[in-house]
Amino acid sequence: MAYGRYVMGYFIPTYLYYLTGCNKAMITVKQTIISWVLLISLTLASVYADQVMENNVLFIMSVLLIVFLKGQQITDIFMELREAPKMWRMLLLSYVLIIPVVICTIYLL
Amino acid sequence: MNNSSLSAIRGQFSAPKVNEIINDKKLPGDLAMWFFILAELTVFAIFFIGFAVAEQLNTEMFVTSKAKLHPIAGLINTIALITSSLFVALSVRAIHLGKVKDSLHLLVISQLIACVYLVVKVWEYQFLFSLGIGIETNTFFTLYFLITFFHFMHVLLGMVILTLVGLNAKKGVYENDISGFESGASYWHMVDMLWVILFPLIYII
Repeated sequence: MAYGRYVMGYFIPTYLYYLTGCNKAMITVKQTIISWVLLISLTLASVYADQVMENNVLFIMSVLLIVFLKGQQITDIFMELREAPKMWRMLLLSYVLIIPVVICTIYLL
Repeated sequence: MNNSSLSAIRGQFSAPKVNEIINDKKLPGDLAMWFFILAELTVFAIFFIGFAVAEQLNTEMFVTSKAKLHPIAGLINTIALITSSLFVALSVRAIHLGKVKDSLHLLVISQLIACVYLVVKVWEYQFLFSLGIGIETNTFFTLYFLITFFHFMHVLLGMVILTLVGLNAKKGVYENDISGFESGASYWHMVDMLWVILFPLIYII
C-alpha cells in the first residue's frame, strides 16, 4: 500500500519525495498555517480600514489590494498552485488581480 | 549509423530520471475539475462586475441598503470559510503522507467549521426577512440575495463533494492516486476564494 501521485504517467510514492529530498517543493504544514494567519490578519485589516478610513479612492484601493493578497495566498498555498504548471497558476492569479482592478476602475469612473 | 548518432537517439528517448519526474510540476487534482473551477469563477466574475456597475448607477440606494447588513456576520463567515479551507489544506497534506485517519479528522473539523457559515448565513437571511426586507425590496437586495444565495449553494455543493471524498478516503479509494481528493479540496478553496472577493464587495466597500 503506497500513497503518492501520478506524474508524467509514473506513480511516485510520497516517501520517495522525502528520501530524495525533493519534498522542498511541496507546501508544508507550517507554510499553510502561516498563510492562514496572514489571511485572517488581512481580513481583520480590511474591516479595521472600514471603521477608520473614509470611503474614498485610497480606501477602495486598499481593500481591493487586500483582496488580491488574500487571493494570492489561497491560490499559491491552499490550492498548491505555486508548485503547479505556470499556466494554471497565472490563470488563477490573473483572476484575483483582474477582478479587483475592474471593480476599482468601475468605482473610480 | 555510427555509435555517436545511436547514443544521441537513445538519449532522446531515454526514460526520465526519478528526480526529473518528482520535480515535474503537476496540477493538483483532475484537469476536468480545474475547467469546472474556471467556469464557476467566470460566472461569479459576471456577478461581481454587475454588482459594481449597479452600485455606481444607484450609489445612494446601495449605501443605505448596505447599512442594514450585519458586517460582523460577514466577518464571522469570512473567518469560518478561511479556517475551514485551512483544515481542508491540512487534510490534503496528511493524505500526501498516507495518514488517512488524520486526514479524515481534519476533513470533519473543516466541515463542522463550514456549518458555522451556514448557520450565520441562514440567521442573516432571517434577520433581513424580519425587517421586512426581501429579494424584491430594491436592486441592492435583489443582487445581495441572488449572489449570496448562489454562493451558499456552492458551499453546500462543496460540503457534499468533501463528504463523498471523505467516504472514499475511508474506503481506501485514494491509496494509489489522490487526484480525486485534491480535486474536492481545490473546489472548496475556490468557494473560499469567491467569498474573499464577495465579502468586501458587498459588506465593506
